[in-house]
Amino acid sequence: MQSPHTLTRRNLLAGASVVLAGSSCARRIAPARATVSILRQSAYDQTVYDAVRRLLIAHRVNIRGKRVVLKPNLVEFDSATTINTHPLLVHAALEAFRSLDAAEVRIAEGPGHRRITMDLAEAAGYFQTVPSFDGLFTDLNLDEITPVRLQRPVSKLRTVYFPNTVLGCDLLVSMPKMKTHHWVGATLSMKNLFGLLPGGVYGWPKNVLHWAGINESIVDLHAQFPNTFAIVDGIEGMEGNGPIQGTPKHAGVLVAGYNLPAVDATCCRIMGIDPAKIDYLRMSAGTEALTESSILQAAETFRSVRIDFQLLPDFQSLRLGTV
Amino acid sequence: MTGALKELCAVQNPDGGWPYHRSSSWTEPTVFALLALASEGELYSPPVANALKWLKANQKPDGGFAPKRLVEESTWVTALVLLLPNDMLAQLDGVRALNWLLSKTGRELDWVQRLRAAMMSGRIQQNGPEGWPWFPDTAAWVAPTAFAILALRKARKHDARTEIRERIQQGQEFLMSRVCQDGGWNHGSTKALGYESASYPETTGLALLALGDLPANRVLRCLDRAEQHLQFCRSAEAASWLRLGLLAHRRPLGTAAVAAKHPASVPELVLSSIVRQAIGGNGIFEA
Repeated sequence: MQSPHTLTRRNLLAGASVVLAGSSCARRIAPARATVSILRQSAYDQTVYDAVRRLLIAHRVNIRGKRVVLKPNLVEFDSATTINTHPLLVHAALEAFRSLDAAEVRIAEGPGHRRITMDLAEAAGYFQTVPSFDGLFTDLNLDEITPVRLQRPVSKLRTVYFPNTVLGCDLLVSMPKMKTHHWVGATLSMKNLFGLLPGGVYGWPKNVLHWAGINESIVDLHAQFPNTFAIVDGIEGMEGNGPIQGTPKHAGVLVAGYNLPAVDATCCRIMGIDPAKIDYLRMSAGTEALTESSILQAAETFRSVRIDFQLLPDFQSLRLGTV
Repeated sequence: MTGALKELCAVQNPDGGWPYHRSSSWTEPTVFALLALASEGELYSPPVANALKWLKANQKPDGGFAPKRLVEESTWVTALVLLLPNDMLAQLDGVRALNWLLSKTGRELDWVQRLRAAMMSGRIQQNGPEGWPWFPDTAAWVAPTAFAILALRKARKHDARTEIRERIQQGQEFLMSRVCQDGGWNHGSTKALGYESASYPETTGLALLALGDLPANRVLRCLDRAEQHLQFCRSAEAASWLRLGLLAHRRPLGTAAVAAKHPASVPELVLSSIVRQAIGGNGIFEA
C-alpha cells in the first residue's frame, strides 16, 4: 500500500526547494537543518535510474566538471543474503552523475576481508551490471596513497594513509547497504568509510581501526571527508547478525543527503533503531543534531516507511520506541 | 628468458619495483616477480638487480620492509621478502629482516576487552598460540601467519635457532585454531557473535600450504574442503593457492582451468607459473 506521502517527481522537486544543501561540495552552505530524502523503491529495476537522478536533483547536486567517486559497500559474497550494495544502484548513480555533467565518475572500494577484490566484485554482479566496470573501478586497497595527519582525532589514529583516488575527488558518495552491525548497532554511510583505508598497507581486515576504537575511527574518518554525499541502499537491507551473517530485510527505500549523521540517523529510525543510542552518531553530531526536529525530511517521512529490523539480543536496548 | 618472463619484465617500473597492476611499485608484487625470475634461473640479470636495489631502499631501520616506499611502518611483507632465494637475499639485510619477523606477534586482547568479548559472544577467549599481524600492533590473522611460517621454514634450513622452530610450531597451531567449521580458513575469524563463519578458497589454500609438514590426519577435513572449493572456484588466484595447498599434501589436482575474468595482477600471474613448477616437482614453497 502506498503512503499518502508517495513521491512524485513534482513533490520531490518541490521538496528540493527547501533543500539548502549545496551546489558544489566545495562551496556548500551549511544547512540550518540537515535535509534527508527518503524515496520508496520497491525493487532493483529500471525505475532505480530515475529515482537516483531525482535524488540528486532534489539535493541540488551540482557536479558539473567535477570528479566523483562512488563508494559502495563490498564485503563478501553469499548468494543467500544481501551483504553488498546492489550493483544496479551503483550503476544508476554512475549514470545520474554523468547526466549532471560530472567530469569523471569512478567506482572505488577497498573490501576489508577478501584480498582479491575483482573476484569479489565479479561474484557480486558488478561486471555483469556495470558496463566497462573494469575500467571504471579503483581497488582502494591497492591504490596510490598519501599519508594524512588527522586534525584533532578522537580515536587513537594519528597519521593515516589514504588512497589518492579519494583524496583527489571533488565529491565522495558513500553508498552503503542498510544493515545492522554486531559491534556498533548499525552500519550505514559513515561506517562505510572504513573501506577507504588501503588494505595494501593495513591488511585484511583493517584491524588497526578496531584497536584505535571502532566508533572513534568512524568519527575521525567522517571528519576527514566532509564533502560526502550519501545514497543508502535500503531496498533490500540486512537484519539480525549483520553486516555479513544477517538475513535479508526488505525495507524498500533509498535514503540520501549531504549530512551523513542525519542520513544515518534517519536510516536508524527507518530500521527501528534509536539513533541517539548509536555511539558514533552521538559522538560525531551530538544528540541534538540527531533529533527529528533537527532533520528536514523530503519525500517520505520515516514513520511512513519504518520497518523494524530484527536486532540481536545484546542490541535490544537500541530499539526505538513507538513514536 | 621465456616469453612469460619477458612479459613480466615489460611491466617492471623504471624504479625497479613492480606494481600490482599498472601503477607505482609495491613490495608484494616485486617479490612475486623476483620469485618468478629466480624460478627460471634469473638471479643476476638487470631486472633482478634493479628490483633488489628497489627492495634494499625499502628496508626500514628496524630491519623489516614496508609495503610501499612512502609507508613508514614495516609490515607482513617482510615475510615475503624472506622467501627470496638466498642469492637474492644476500643483497639485502636478510638477518635483520628475519629478526624483525621473529620479534612480531599478534596483539592480544587485554582482560577488559576479553571480558567485553566474552559478554558479547558468550564464551571466554583465552590467548592462544601466537601468529603474525598484517600491520604492527594489531591482532594476528591467517594470511600473514601463513606467509611468516613459509618464510621461517625456509630460514630454518640455514639457521638452527630453537626460536625459529618454536615460532613455526606456534604459527601452525594458530592456524589450526582458526579452522572454520566447514574445514577451511577465512581471514581468521571463525565465529561472529557465536555464528559460524564460512571459509574462503584463497586463504584455505594458503593455510594448507603453510601446514604442508603437518601429519595428514590433522588436516584431512581441511583438504576435503580445499577440494570442494577448487571444484567451484571461479577465481584464478584463489585456484592457484588451493592447488599449492593441495600439492603440499600430495593431493591430486583437478584439471579444470579457471579463466581470469579481468586483467591479472602481477602476483596472480606469477602464482599460476609457480603452480606449474610445483606440479613439475619444483615447489618453491616446499618445507
